Amino acid sequence: MTGAGTGTAADTPTRHGEKIRCHPSIIVERSISAIVVLAVLATQLARGAVPATLAILFVGLVLFNYRQWSRTTIQFNETDVVVERNTLFKMKKTLPYAKIASVNINRGILNRVFGTSRLLVNINSGSGATVPEAVLTFSEDVAEGIRAGMAERLYGHETVLEDEPAEPPVTFSPADVIVHGLFSVSTYQTVFGFAFLAYSVVQVYVSTVTGAGAGGTALVSLLMFFVVQLAPSVSLIFHYYNYRVYRRGDTIYLEHGLIRTYKTSFDVSRINAVRVKRTLAARLLSRSCIEAEVVGLASGSGESLRPVLCLLKDDATQQRLLEDLVPEFVAEHARERQPEGARSVLLIRAALASLALVLAAAYPSIYLYRETAALTGVAGTVLPYALPLATTAAILAIFYATAVSYRITEFGTGTDLFTFVSGAVDRETVVMNYDKVQMVRITRGPVARLFGVARARVHLLSAVGGASVSSGYFAGSRLAAIGETVMERIASGEYDWRKNSI
Amino acid sequence: MSFPGPVNGQAPADEGSPEPGAGTDGYRRLNRKCMLSMYIDYAMWYAVLLAAYILTKTYGEGFLGPYSDPVGYGFLVVLGIALVYIVAAPPVFYARYRYRITEDRVDVRCGVLFIRHTLVPIERVHQVEIARGPINNILGLADVTITTAGGEAEIRYLEIDEAETVADRLNNLIGRMLRERMPAAPTPRPGAADE
Repeated sequence: MTGAGTGTAADTPTRHGEKIRCHPSIIVERSISAIVVLAVLATQLARGAVPATLAILFVGLVLFNYRQWSRTTIQFNETDVVVERNTLFKMKKTLPYAKIASVNINRGILNRVFGTSRLLVNINSGSGATVPEAVLTFSEDVAEGIRAGMAERLYGHETVLEDEPAEPPVTFSPADVIVHGLFSVSTYQTVFGFAFLAYSVVQVYVSTVTGAGAGGTALVSLLMFFVVQLAPSVSLIFHYYNYRVYRRGDTIYLEHGLIRTYKTSFDVSRINAVRVKRTLAARLLSRSCIEAEVVGLASGSGESLRPVLCLLKDDATQQRLLEDLVPEFVAEHARERQPEGARSVLLIRAALASLALVLAAAYPSIYLYRETAALTGVAGTVLPYALPLATTAAILAIFYATAVSYRITEFGTGTDLFTFVSGAVDRETVVMNYDKVQMVRITRGPVARLFGVARARVHLLSAVGGASVSSGYFAGSRLAAIGETVMERIASGEYDWRKNSI
Repeated sequence: MSFPGPVNGQAPADEGSPEPGAGTDGYRRLNRKCMLSMYIDYAMWYAVLLAAYILTKTYGEGFLGPYSDPVGYGFLVVLGIALVYIVAAPPVFYARYRYRITEDRVDVRCGVLFIRHTLVPIERVHQVEIARGPINNILGLADVTITTAGGEAEIRYLEIDEAETVADRLNNLIGRMLRERMPAAPTPRPGAADE
């Protein structure tokens, strides 16, 4: 929006009531994907009038986007932002400042080419948590200015501009980013990914030995490894490149990104829960990371919606950063382990799962034995017993995971916060604020009833909409204390609806 | 709606005034018609399951090959378990179901195999919805869905009048809560965000 149209945005949002437009580069942004599709179609169907039709379609699309741009205005008023489109499909969206949760900046390749930034305005909404309420493209300096002005309204003080010095409590090196990318992916995902890779390698090896072609299965397995393991890791490295996090007043600022850059800020009061996560690999490296559940922050997709407050760092640094950034979520209360009854429930569950596994594997095992018993060599020795051996290994893994799960699952309650610790393989400590709890559900299964324990599911508003966190097995009365504390805080007036209402 | 009397074995209501017509502990129970609704609902699902079994037995041999017999037996076991559950579940569901709405909370206890106790603070209720499917419509029953920002809770199989009463009560409680806050709310400075 370089002064084109009805107004300039340089002094927004201080100049109230003036209608301005986005930067005209959004016409190109919106048309560029169509160029690619139409170009591919044109090369494939380059006969007769097809290319001409496609060219007309493209021109039509550009004109449509131009019309949309020219007839879409943004107005920064005293109390709200109004985005209005006056085309065939009319639209008027009013976003009161009081309902805006965050204003973030996001820059992709085209934004860099045109010197623009995308301003993402999010409101506190569980249903639309993953999609920004408004995405507005302005020139970079204008977007920064608008963000600073709006942040002043939202958080009560000015945001830190790029050239202003900010002192992150902890610095993250490129090596930290790479380690985070490689080892923050869930262990189950990594195991699956490497299983596909191993299968692919075996297929290639067998084909080399026998002289036959490797066939499609090796390629498909390799592709699966790429999709399941490699792509998420690389994506995380690109996403968190040049990662910075710092807090000023009650606002937390995040900046990161290689190809697309992100500038995110949110008020600490918007955090509903904090998770300290350790994957198996991270635990072996004595590292952990911190994620926050913050509603109204949509600035990306998938995992990137959940803001990371600390990349995988050594546990001591992670703890220090936690205390610096979100002391409100540092839980100092004692945590209790599961009672004896929980062990019995977990063991019965493991036994039932093992029984189901044995029943499922019985017929295929017999079938495989009959088919391969006659084979000679290593194949004839190993293959007939492969499934029973795999089943036995799986059963051992189930019981081992059960023992670990019983040992590590914890529950703690304090004055303002309560904590669940869980995860046999990938460990997670979730610290929640009573005032952010939306609903509590306590469940007693038939076996759990027998041993006098129950499980709780706490429903919260998360960055990706509604979400729930589960506890281990504890006495029902202990878990019921969560809901009772929530109610007591509301009744006693400790709960401040102005800080917590969604 | 008939109330078969006090619900035994429950802790007394600890706070908030109970609904009129509730048992001594403040909990209310469902109408017996809920069992009929459940039986009809389950019967329809069982018919679908039975049809799937017949189709598998008739046409499954071609694509299941040697697995045809084990799959058939597995299906029969599932059908047997489902039949036992369908016969036994509705009376257990009816016997266990109880709900309570006080000034500050919605409290629902229910379940057949897994007993659930759901607590929703009135403070967190965003939306109240009454819905009824065709079977419940015939039987004059309705479900009340209570939506919070983090999930939903349901009070099921209420008589329509009762469902309307529950929804009205919840809406009144929410409305009263919001009205009480209005004078207390600070006058917002122009454009100020909620703090």
